[in-house]
Amino acid sequence: MSSEDVAGYAERFLDMLSRAFDEVAVYVVRSRSVMVKAARGGISAVQDWDDVDVSVYLVKDRRIYTSTFPLRAAEMLLSRAEDLIARLEPSKLYAPLPEPSGESCSARDPSVEKILDESDYGALASAMGAGSGIDVSGMASVYLEEAALATSKGARLTRSVTGFEGYIRVFKGRDVSGQWSWVSTRLDTSLAKEALDIAIRLAEECSSLPREEPEEGVSRILLSPMTSSQLMEYVASAALAGSVITGTSFLSSAKPGDRVASEGLTLKSTPRDKGLPGYSLFDDEGVATTDVAFIESGMLKTLLHNTKTARILGGKSTGNAGWIFPRLFNLRVEPGDVRAGEELEALGNGVYITNNWYTRFQNYLEGTFSTVPRDAAFIVRSGRPVACVPGYKIRLEGSLRSMVRGVEALGSKLFNIKWWEVDTPTRAPHIVVSEKGGLRVRRA
Amino acid sequence: MALSWTPEGFDPAVLFKAVERASSLGASYAEARLHVNFGYSLSLLNDNLMGGGPSYSGGIAVRVVVDGSLGFASTSKWDERSVIDAVERAVKSARSLAGAARKVSMSEETLGRASYEVKVREKPWEVEFDDKLSRIKEVSKSLEAKGIEITSKVLHYSDSAEYKYLVTSDGSEVESLVPRVEVFYNISARYGGEMANKWGEVGGSGGLEALEKLGLQRRIADDLESLRVALTRARNPPKGVMDVIISPEIVGLALHESIGHPSEADRVLGREAAQAGRSYREYTSGRIGSEIVTVIDDPTIPGSSGFYLYDDEAVPARPRRLIDRGVLAEMLHNRETAAEMGVKSNAAARARDYRSEPIVRMANTYLAPGDYTFDELVESVKEGVYIKTYMEWNIDEWRLTARYVGLEAYIVRNGRLEEPVKNVVLQIPTTEFYSKIDAVGRDLAFYPGMCGKGEPMQPLPVWMGGPHVRLRGVRVG
Repeated sequence: MSSEDVAGYAERFLDMLSRAFDEVAVYVVRSRSVMVKAARGGISAVQDWDDVDVSVYLVKDRRIYTSTFPLRAAEMLLSRAEDLIARLEPSKLYAPLPEPSGESCSARDPSVEKILDESDYGALASAMGAGSGIDVSGMASVYLEEAALATSKGARLTRSVTGFEGYIRVFKGRDVSGQWSWVSTRLDTSLAKEALDIAIRLAEECSSLPREEPEEGVSRILLSPMTSSQLMEYVASAALAGSVITGTSFLSSAKPGDRVASEGLTLKSTPRDKGLPGYSLFDDEGVATTDVAFIESGMLKTLLHNTKTARILGGKSTGNAGWIFPRLFNLRVEPGDVRAGEELEALGNGVYITNNWYTRFQNYLEGTFSTVPRDAAFIVRSGRPVACVPGYKIRLEGSLRSMVRGVEALGSKLFNIKWWEVDTPTRAPHIVVSEKGGLRVRRA
Repeated sequence: MALSWTPEGFDPAVLFKAVERASSLGASYAEARLHVNFGYSLSLLNDNLMGGGPSYSGGIAVRVVVDGSLGFASTSKWDERSVIDAVERAVKSARSLAGAARKVSMSEETLGRASYEVKVREKPWEVEFDDKLSRIKEVSKSLEAKGIEITSKVLHYSDSAEYKYLVTSDGSEVESLVPRVEVFYNISARYGGEMANKWGEVGGSGGLEALEKLGLQRRIADDLESLRVALTRARNPPKGVMDVIISPEIVGLALHESIGHPSEADRVLGREAAQAGRSYREYTSGRIGSEIVTVIDDPTIPGSSGFYLYDDEAVPARPRRLIDRGVLAEMLHNRETAAEMGVKSNAAARARDYRSEPIVRMANTYLAPGDYTFDELVESVKEGVYIKTYMEWNIDEWRLTARYVGLEAYIVRNGRLEEPVKNVVLQIPTTEFYSKIDAVGRDLAFYPGMCGKGEPMQPLPVWMGGPHVRLRGVRVG
């Protein structure tokens, strides 16, 4: 199925539905993807998907119906939509679909498509170092997404993107490990190689150092890009207007112009970043996406909106639609001036967390959380790693509200991160959080 | 037996053809599964409908073992050509990396040839949408909390029916239909300058009548009361070594995280090493807890979220004892891990949908009840804390130390519940948790959850539960 076919389906469903509904948006996505998984040095599974899904947004008398179906079943299921929408109530979130302003876009790498066409997945296994004798686990995936949006306001837009992403975890001994990830719209195998090299290096450095558990209490913390991307994704989610409306944002009482973070921190929603697979020049409402610094030099500049949330909270759509609530496409944490290789010096004394998972909140409105480091965590004194502890032996406690106020320095190099714990493709640097950030280390 | 819902236009013959085709291409094992999930959902914000609609996912999953390599492919089309194409993709994928594969085989089992369903009174697919809406709206509107301001109230209702038809190359054929209903909620509130929130879930297998049976309204109201107590009355939490009584909600979560996940044999074998992590059961066996601790994972509990009678490899389901009187016992197995460890599968293979490979999963994990009433648990505590509800929790990847932070909790002094405290932190090693249990309640309650595992992530409905328990002399704060 080609991009033209996908657009044809979108048009066809739009025609079919426009007769019965006041407003219609149809988003058809064909995705072809392959994922190779490795475990403890060998390939554990190869998964292959080929799907066409139809998502619809329908409005009648301000009643809103949304759903997603496989193409095969869409016509049958949509034939019942008119009856169902009559049973809904008008939605207080309703806002008219906007005039389209987005553009069609494409970020395709023929090398990715070649792998999919030829079903030769050796490159994916090699990217992870599987079968090379290294104790490696991980995932490598390639995919092609061809999408078309058609709306009753006249949007006729297509989007075509390839992706290459994965993550690698290397063990050295029973519980010493390093982990890293990569993501790109291109088959940039240098990113995978860098991820493998870093994972190996972290595991080796940790195993070569004495073991020591850090002091408990508030500490200076160096967040690796794996960790900074994970925590900053939560910060970015708090800036989505839907989080404010549903009471899950620590930014809910902040106003544009308020200082919410230290001056060094700038967070951008970057849907127009062609190098990351969230790339799109239009959002789900057909509005032109924009790269928005929603926190700029520590100031909250705006929440991220679609037309619905902009109407309710005031402001304009930032081109981040989601049909009900806004969403993130890509995220970028602006770099700082700490040169690559000098991050530990910037930390001075403290703890370097190279990876984490299982971040959970005690209070979403305050942003209080704890998270569990994993893989190597280093104790750093005078800018040098002097001891290592497997991350699972400690926890990090704090609040997002304080943490972002304690951002002291950022690395100049950005890493492309997306993995099991980071949904949004993100470019992130190392980040030094000072004691002001209030991150507390606690032993397990 | 004809089930009360079957998909239109589906002929099981296509699954047999898929398995035959895989075998003819050299697969030593093949399975084909039609997997349909359909239902409806709606979301209320502050009693107002935000939106709603049906959900549907349906297609055929094919899994093969070729030259010891595991391949998986799926298609949302049910015609023979598309299904055979999926078979060929799965075989080709498996074969392309057979040289680097961890060698896989499937354990030999007595497999099912059966058809079953969960009988319900109010079939979710037959109850009109406006009827569902009015019921959930009624619950939402009934929620009141004196003295605090509810700043937002989100209720998300969803129902689903899961239809599966599974055929394997070693002779199984299992058809099933399991409907489920669930409500997820998140309530935010303010008191003075302080804000807090509480989320929760109510759900199980069955028709709409299950929501009443599960006490939907009461459970949300109880959580709202937790929020009110935490905001208006609770003081700072105690710190130090003391006795702790924890509620069934927290007991269930603790078991799920600290014995359920580490008992998944695929984790123990490293299959999840880069994702959810590893397990202390790689190197630990024997006694882990006191004699009164027995933990069971049982897919066959009627009305449970994790209910099934055959797993997604056609193995008949049964209760699994993960801890038997304080001693680590069974792991959870699918046929792949069973073969690798030289045991029989105990039917833990579950897949979320047709896009998902079956992997080792929990179903309904609980602590076997004991003899104590709640009052008896409390009465011998001189200085301690009772943690009733929680918000934050997490556990390390080896499942060695877990953390639970209470929302509603009370000081226990001289055998009586006293003043409320908030944000009580119980961070405790797994072995200490199970060893310090000195009394187990006779009550038993279950709580639903969506268990996350796999790559791509496969959230699956489970129940977690147990009675109240008492831990003697553990560190709090």
